[in-house]
Formats: sequence, C-alpha cells, structure tokens
Amino acid sequence: MSQFRDSDGLRIINNWMAEKGHAPFLFQLQTWQRYSNGYSGMVVAPTGFGKTFSVFLAVVIDYLNHPEKYPKGLKLLWISPLRSLAKDLAKAMTDAADDIGLDWSVQVRNGDTPTATRRKQERLMPDVLLTTPETMHLLFSQKKNSRWFKSVRCVVIDEWHELIGNKRGVLTELAISQLIHYSPKVQIWGITATIGNLEEAKQALLPYPNLKVTQVTAKQKKKLDIISVLPDEIEVLPWAGHLGTKMVDKILPIIASNTTTLIFTNTRGQAELWYQVLLNAKPDLAGLLAIHHGSIDKKLRNWIEDNIASGYLKAVVCTSSLDLGVDFKPVDCVIQIGSVKGIARFMQRAGRSGHSPFERSKIYFVPTHSLELVEVSALKEAIKEKQIESRDPMVLIFDVLVQFMVTLAVGEGFEAEALYKRVKQTHAFQYLTKDDLQWCLHFITKGGKTLHSYEEFHKVILDEDGTYKVKSRRISMLHRMNIGAIVSEVNLKVKYFSGGYIGMIEEFFVSKLKPGESFILAGRILELVQIKDMTVLVRRSKAKKAVSPSWLGGRLPLTSHLSHYLRLKLSDALQPGRLEKELRFLNPLVSRQNEHSHIPKADEFLVELIETRDGHHLFMYPLEGRLVHEVFSALMAYRISKLTQITFTIAMNDYGFELLSDQPIPISEKNIETLLSKDNLMDDVIASINASEMASRKFRDIAVIAGLVVQSQPGTRKNNKSLQSSSGLIFRVLEDYEPENLLLRQAYTEVFNQQLEEARLQKAFDRISKSKIIVKYAKSFTPLSFPLKVDSLRGTMSNENLDKRIQRIKEQAFKIN
Amino acid sequence: MKIVTEHITILNEELVLTNQRAIYWNKESALILSDLHIGKTAHFRRHGIPMPDDILQKDLRRLKELINHFNTRRLIIVGDLFHAKANSDMDTFKTWLKQFDDLSLVLVKGNHDRQSQRLMDELNIHVESTLIIDPFIFIHDPSDKTTKNFTFSGHIHPGVLLKGKGKQKLKLPCYQVSENQIILPAFSLFTGLNTLRNKTDVVSYAFTDTAIFRLQ
Repeated sequence: MSQFRDSDGLRIINNWMAEKGHAPFLFQLQTWQRYSNGYSGMVVAPTGFGKTFSVFLAVVIDYLNHPEKYPKGLKLLWISPLRSLAKDLAKAMTDAADDIGLDWSVQVRNGDTPTATRRKQERLMPDVLLTTPETMHLLFSQKKNSRWFKSVRCVVIDEWHELIGNKRGVLTELAISQLIHYSPKVQIWGITATIGNLEEAKQALLPYPNLKVTQVTAKQKKKLDIISVLPDEIEVLPWAGHLGTKMVDKILPIIASNTTTLIFTNTRGQAELWYQVLLNAKPDLAGLLAIHHGSIDKKLRNWIEDNIASGYLKAVVCTSSLDLGVDFKPVDCVIQIGSVKGIARFMQRAGRSGHSPFERSKIYFVPTHSLELVEVSALKEAIKEKQIESRDPMVLIFDVLVQFMVTLAVGEGFEAEALYKRVKQTHAFQYLTKDDLQWCLHFITKGGKTLHSYEEFHKVILDEDGTYKVKSRRISMLHRMNIGAIVSEVNLKVKYFSGGYIGMIEEFFVSKLKPGESFILAGRILELVQIKDMTVLVRRSKAKKAVSPSWLGGRLPLTSHLSHYLRLKLSDALQPGRLEKELRFLNPLVSRQNEHSHIPKADEFLVELIETRDGHHLFMYPLEGRLVHEVFSALMAYRISKLTQITFTIAMNDYGFELLSDQPIPISEKNIETLLSKDNLMDDVIASINASEMASRKFRDIAVIAGLVVQSQPGTRKNNKSLQSSSGLIFRVLEDYEPENLLLRQAYTEVFNQQLEEARLQKAFDRISKSKIIVKYAKSFTPLSFPLKVDSLRGTMSNENLDKRIQRIKEQAFKIN
Repeated sequence: MKIVTEHITILNEELVLTNQRAIYWNKESALILSDLHIGKTAHFRRHGIPMPDDILQKDLRRLKELINHFNTRRLIIVGDLFHAKANSDMDTFKTWLKQFDDLSLVLVKGNHDRQSQRLMDELNIHVESTLIIDPFIFIHDPSDKTTKNFTFSGHIHPGVLLKGKGKQKLKLPCYQVSENQIILPAFSLFTGLNTLRNKTDVVSYAFTDTAIFRLQ
C-alpha cells in the first residue's frame, strides 16, 4: 500500500491536480489504488464529482508507474451508451494527458466517425478509444479484429445503469466476454449512478471468477430543491395536456431569473409544442431558445450542445435526449413538464442543473394536469426516504445472442464449444443450455428446424477448420448494417426541397399527411412536397399553425416505487400536512372526488360505476402504471364476460383504467370480491389477454435484432425493397410452422416479464385482497375518472366471435378508412 | 378450407368472388388472381432470412382446391406471379403445375415479373403486358391505367380497416370494386395489406376464413 502512496505516478497526478487547485476525492484515490493492485470493480458516484477521472487517471497512474506492463497499441477502451459524451470526454482526457506530458492519443469511434478516420484507426489504434457497445460489435465483425484488442489492459463501461436494464446491456456483456477472450489480463471497471440493485448490477458486469472485484462508492451527495409550479386556479375535472400552455406565464419568469434552463418534456411532440408556445409568448427569446430531441439533425444538436456549454443559450426545450451526456456548466435550473414516471429519472434530470460538486440542483415541476401534483408530493417523499428503482439485467436474450454469433462469423469465425463456454460465463447467458446453443447454431446455418429447403440459405457455414463463418459478402454487408439492439420506428429523413437536412420523422406520421399539408419539426413549420427514396422533401410553410408530429413509443409506465408513494399521498390528500403545498392546493379537487365518490385510503381500493350517454363505465384505480393496467383491465373484462356476453372498450392511464360497454355491467358489492380475487390469477390473465397479439408486438424488435427483418436505412436509395416484410407476418409464419422457435418463445417471455409485469401484478392483487373494496355509483365523471375518459389509449376485449363482431361494427355505422 | 362465395354481375358477366383470394369468371371458366409472389420465401432465404417453404406449399394447395372446385380451364394471373429471380421455389411451382393437364395460364406482367421468356415458355405461360378479353382489360398496376374500359388489377394488396365504436379496429384483405375497376387482393398469404384509399366510390368485399362482407 505504502508503495502506491509513494509512487511517482500518484505524485505526478497529485501535483497536476494541485496546480489546478483541486485535490482528489476519497473515492478517486481508492479507485486509483485498487486499480493499481489489479482489481476490477464498479465506481458508484453521482454525476459531477469526477467519476471519469476516477478510472481514467487510475490507468494513467498505473502506466506511469509500470510502463512495461502496457504494450504498444490500444490500452484503454471506454464504452459509453451515448455518442454525445465521447467528444467531450476525449477532449478532457487529451487535455489531461497533454498537461501531464503523456504522449497518449485519445480518439473517438462511433457511428458519427468519418470513414477516413476509421480506416486510419484500423491501421494504427490510438492508446485510448472511446466507443459504444454497437461499435464494439461492429469492430468484432471485421476481419482479423483480435489484433487490435490484444494489448488492451482496461475496459471501462461508463453509465452502466443506463445499459443494464436493456438489450444494449446484453450487447455490452457479450463485448466484455469477447475482450477477455482476446486479452485475458484485462481489468474491467464499471461506472454507475445509484440504483436500487447495485450488488446485482455489479454481478452482471463482473461475473468472472478470475477477476478480483471491488466496489468504490462516493460519499458525496447532491443537494436537491424541488419546486412545484402551481396554476392560478384548480380545475376539479383535470385532464392530461389541458393545463399545459396556460402555464407559460409561470415558466417565463423562471427562465428569466436563471442563467440557463433546461426544459424537459416527455415526448418529442410535446417538445415541439412547448417550443412554439414559449416563442409565441415571448418573441424576444428567438435565437436564445433552442429545441433538442432525438429526431433533430445531428449537426444542429451539436451546435445546441456547444451553445449550452458556452452559456449562449438561455433555455433549451428537450426530451430524454439530454437526460445524460455532457455536463453543461452554465445550467443552473431544470424545468420538468408533466409526469416523469420514475424517481431515478426525476433525480437524473434534476441533476442536470448545478453540476459542480458543491452546487445545489434545482428543479421546477410543471404539471400538465392537476392530479400530477400528487406525484410531486410522492416524489418528495420517496427522495426523502432514499428509495430508488432497480434496473434488472436481462437474461437469455436469444435475439442478441444470434446476432452476436453471426457478428463473430462475419469477423474471425468462432468455434461452437469454445463460444458456449465463454458465453455461459456472462450473466445474461448463465442459464444457456447446450440445446439452446444448438438451436441458435441451427438457426444461423440452416434457418431453424422446419426449414427443409435450406440449400439456398447459406447464412453461416461450418468451415473445414471447424469454425463457423459467413462467406457471402452480401450477407456480411446486410448483417453489419443491422448490428445493434436499438430498434427504431421506420424513420424518414426530412430535407428542404432546395437542399439542407432538418431531421428525422416517423414514417407512420408522415404517411398520414398529404402533399401541401404542414407539420412542425425542429421548431419550424414545414410544408410537405413529396416523399422520395425514404426522404421527405419539404419547403418552408407560410401556415401559422400546423400539426406537431407524434412519435410512437416513449410512453413510459409509472414505476412501482413511485406508484407506492402515489397511493400514500392520495390517501393523505384529504388531510394534507402543513408543509405539503401541492396537496393543499389540490384540496378542492380532492374534496369533490370525496363528495361525489370517494378518496381511497392506503388500505382501500376504489371501484366507480358511472352511466352516461356513451354507455356504462366501470373505473378502477390500482395506481400501478399503464402496463399493469393494460393487463388488469383485460383480466376484469374477461372475468365479467364470464358472467354475461358483453363487449368492452378499454382505456387506461397510470392511475387506473376504464371499461366501457353499451350494456349494463353486472357488478355490485356482492360479486366484486370474486371479480378481484387473486385465485387463478395467472390462468385468467392468460385466458384474457391476446398473448399472441402482445407477443407479436414484442417480436418486432426481436425480428430486427436477430436479422429476420431488414431495416431500410433512412435516405438511402437502396432500400432492399424485395426483402421487406413485416415482423407481424414473420411472427404468424413462425407460429404456424415452428412454434418452438426460441425467438418466438423469447417474445412471449418478454410479454410476461415486461408487458404483464407478472411479479408486480401478483403483488397488486395481494394488496387488493387485503384492502377494503369500495364500490361507488356516480352520476357523472369524477375528478379521478375524467382524465381517463379523455386519455384514450383504447383496446378492445370481446368474447364475441370475429364475424359477429364485424357485423356489430357494421351496424354501429362503422367508418372505412 | 372453406370456400365462401359472393356473386356479382359486371357488364352482364357473372363473377364469383371467393374468400380465398380469387375470382371465378363463369363464361370463360377462368380463375382470376393476382400477386402470388412465388419465390418470395426462397428469395428471403438466399439473403439469410429463414422462411419455411411450407408457406408456398400452402398457397399452392389452396390454389389447387380452387381450381378443382370451379372446374377451371384457365388461370388469369394479373401480375407478380413471381417475386424474384429464378430460385428453388420456381422448381416447386413447375412440378406442381404438371398435375393439371388442360389448364392454360396467362400472366399479365407485373413489376416483379422480370423472368426470362425462356422460363415462361418452359412453364407454358402466355405473357401479356395488357390482356384484353371482352368486356374486360387486365393490367397489373391500376395507376398505369389509361383506358375507359373495365379493368382488373392487382399490385396494391388492398385491405380494409374497420373501425367500430370505441376505437375497435380490424384489418382484413379485400376486393375493391369501383365503377370501372376491380382490384384483387394478393393471393399469397405471405404479403402485407395496404389500407389506404384514393377513391371514394369504392365498394370493398372484405373476407375472413369463413365469410365475405360487403362494405360501402
């Protein structure tokens, strides 16, 4: 230990920091020391406390002390989920190396890297390479790629908490396993923010028994101010989006009194809307207000990011596109518009302001309807009690495995037995059986068990030397284009007719527009001229108003942690504490709810029956988030339909759901407990949902990742049109011909784990079975039911057969599109 | 397989729409269909996307039943008989075709039909870019149409989106019949549906495995 303390490397770094007027934090020192002792590990630290330098400088110090341990070539691989991070990190690292007098080259490689730079890197790798999980896999798909990685001594996974819960995490786990294979002495370090399951996160990242594993946790805590912005008056019948723009007058003074403000919205459509609204309310902001989201041109986004950093911009309307990424020093205020759905996400967004170690973060919450104020109250409570959501690592993700196997086959080829041993060491595939692997091999060589005529299917072949390889250039090219686990909607490029690229838009939205119609993108009003070669050609529109594009997806459900606190706060709402200003403000609404129906206490479950002109409504409020409500509502519809033949229309939001029927719903105090019973729960769930329909939706991503669907690249002429097919079509084909297909099974598993959230549903019914069930009959919509009525994400549930249903729809004066 | 029929009369010709994606024309003893896309599964396989060939077998079984059911002497295929360049699926089709002794095939060339004349001769398929059998004209892509006569077309794989109360939604394949044209549904089950409409005066005949519905 004393050896390290007295080492030249540490002295050089300490001097360098001292010159800049800094001293290392304790967790940085610990990381440096343990790295030097040969440990791998995980650093847990909030953003803004120098977590980057904790690991980067550890490698620098070790190099200064033992240069002989580091051969020529790539030494440090820095894998981070975000491209935008890489540029600034590389700059910080280069500056540090220069200051210290270290002749290291630090370079970035990702989808934005120009081809010339990439070729140069392939000839001579830099000492430090910053990259993404996808680019790692692309590198593995190159011929003779192992030569680049043999010299690597340290691999860092930055923002591991962002990767762990999704398929990109699985890509990362596989990349680590491959890197260990190439360079057995490599040390692996993860960097993560606090999440609910740190131990598991560490296990998933570092499951290798040969590694010495440690954890370093920063003691520093971020101070956080949460301020809710209250509307002037309260509507007792709230609905989503309604409040919205009325709150502009409240937002403008906040922007004025801070240096730089980030305004977070939940969807890209919302961001476009708010950008317009703010500009209309205060035209002076033109040029000082920007809009930033994932569909905006990369160059424009870079410009915006640079100008946030320089302090030139006063405010930026953004989406989760700015959740992570570069630390913007001037940002001293964050405004969140609408529900955030999760505690961790809320804290992360808040943390984007007041970035220096000892500054406070400040976040304003602007509700889009008054009920969301309960959520602020719940968030405050959860943060006070330090409750943060977990992110569960995914297991047995066959689509990613199949992709990885083809990636290797395109690259250097692989041997089945050796690959099995390696992959089985990862957390994601620890339960992989030999049969599973055999199936995957069969799938990539012969196309699955039922593909009889596989003569033409030469995707991967077993070469004479015993390795699996891809020999066809055509297939290699198609595969490289398809590497990755982020499946986006089909996006089209948007360009001015006269030239100039604006951004991306979903095909689904554009397909509904006719030439001459206007829409908003990147804060501009554009007129559609024509669609050609996956490109939307537009010109500036003279229209004053236009539709904001809607983007599919992006509907995040409420996390179970937050919903727990929501239930508590709602039951408190009748007698709010002296300091709970949100709840005090909500009192008129809550009182009306209590007068016309009921406010459920923490140990109660509310059921409302309302009859209107539209028909007979049943409302229930489990407060378990949209996904659980989707299943819950289908289950209720199923159980009721066993009593009588009936068809429902279903609507849901994060608070509850509605069943609507044209017939009376046979529910009363007498049978309600049976209907809500937890007996035969999962059997009834399976009988009630269209599992096949849900799995078909899940299969979309799986089909793309496993290479069953060829994605067309936006803006390219060659769109592989003769290979277009929908994943839905392939799903049906596989259900008919190969029901035991592992990818199909994975789709169903994903439905149960993610869509049905089986565990959470079980818990909800447990809780309800212990609760007092309250049935109320109301004459009109109540404050709780009204937003549901308006929010209409509707599905149907029916036990009538198809032909009869069509007949009925016909009778109801259907519309043909 | 259940064959459900709906009889319509156009220009005094009796036409039998079936729920199995083909029309039978009485006077000519002809079965009219479009967009078989033979070779699509094999084309996918060649590009590393595994698709079972049973899909084709199933389409061909269905076609055979229809041929026998109606005592068909002639097949009029309104384009896209083949999906891609020659592959093993064409051989399957060739073998299958041999079982019918006196069945004549006419193909109205579609955008996918880029096969050599030799293959067509080998299969004994008569190819036309536009086929005229009084009182009808057969053209693959309806937008290429420049005639006032009643046309039969395929190409767009028409479907219909049914919307009921409370946002109930159903998508079904259909025949689109308007004043001077019929657009046929794609015969192959391995095809998508297009539910967009350009015209307003269209009657759609949508169908399921067990029924046909007339929608206006």
